[in-house]
Amino acid sequence: MTRGKAIRQILEMLGEEEIVVAADGAIARETFRAADRARNFYMLGSMGQAASIGLGLAMTRQERVVILDGDGNLLMGMGGLAMVGGLKPANLYHLVLDNGCYATTGGQAALSRTVDLADAAAGAGYRWVRRCTSGRFGRLEAEQWLEAPGPALLDLVIDEPDPDPAPRIPLSPEAIAVRFRASLLGG
Amino acid sequence: MSTSLRLDSLRTAGVEFVAGVPCSFLAKFFAACDELPAAAMLRATREDHAVAACAGAWFAGRLPLAAMQNSGLGYCLEALSSLHLMYALPLPMLVSDRGHPEDYEEHRFLGARTRRLLELFEIPWREAREGAEGNDAEWLVGVAVAARKPAALLVGRGADT
Repeated sequence: MTRGKAIRQILEMLGEEEIVVAADGAIARETFRAADRARNFYMLGSMGQAASIGLGLAMTRQERVVILDGDGNLLMGMGGLAMVGGLKPANLYHLVLDNGCYATTGGQAALSRTVDLADAAAGAGYRWVRRCTSGRFGRLEAEQWLEAPGPALLDLVIDEPDPDPAPRIPLSPEAIAVRFRASLLGG
Repeated sequence: MSTSLRLDSLRTAGVEFVAGVPCSFLAKFFAACDELPAAAMLRATREDHAVAACAGAWFAGRLPLAAMQNSGLGYCLEALSSLHLMYALPLPMLVSDRGHPEDYEEHRFLGARTRRLLELFEIPWREAREGAEGNDAEWLVGVAVAARKPAALLVGRGADT
């Protein structure tokens, strides 16, 4: 399973209303290439903040908020995991694309190879957590995650590199923000 | 009306969502925040997570406020740089003004540099004044929204009204 394939699988299952926060680096770029939509927020920096941005959205909106996170990103922002687990927003769905390394910067090993992020989320208070190995992930597993009581975290092991990494997103940060906010305000 | 004039003034000026980490200089403000609805107050684990959650609330159509000790500004710099300053997002901030020479050792180094740090990051700031809460709040919200960037109200001892 590649990161791109996993992202495409998830995006195919979302409706127009659902809100997506895509973590900076390869995840945001793959998300843009797979299915650009106004309700996608593409992080370009602020590594470690995907869960916190998603929480701010989940607290103030009724729609489901889907966070497409990375293992390195989540490890940098473990306080965000604690806030989500502590507050338990029922509309927050957290996917960790867990490749065990910092792929965007050259594949350096990450501590996710020994730190169990699903266990950490359960300890923080997420209502549903699962670690899923690549070969077992498909539409059914994605459905189980998206139908679980939120906050729900799926730690998905990514064991194949993307053969054709997505290019940078050709939108300015300001254009991303204006379009994303307008899509939520209905303007 | 709450027990904090500071919070009431900020709400009157338009603030609808508060995220922050407490400071003893903001004890009265944070105590009043405890009475806010659950969806309007986030007890953040660290200040950078507070400002990131504020970005989410802004996207959702709520005017946010990040409240923190000035020591937390250090943690925020990357999030402020690559979220609010880069995407042009308004962020009113209530920041305590610790670290004057008579304050405890751990507050002094950053305290002596708080204003310079804000200026280096092109964040407008003003000192909060007791008795001018409404004016302070209008300035803070007005500047942050008009410039679409962070702005800070520095709260010294005695201004947590």
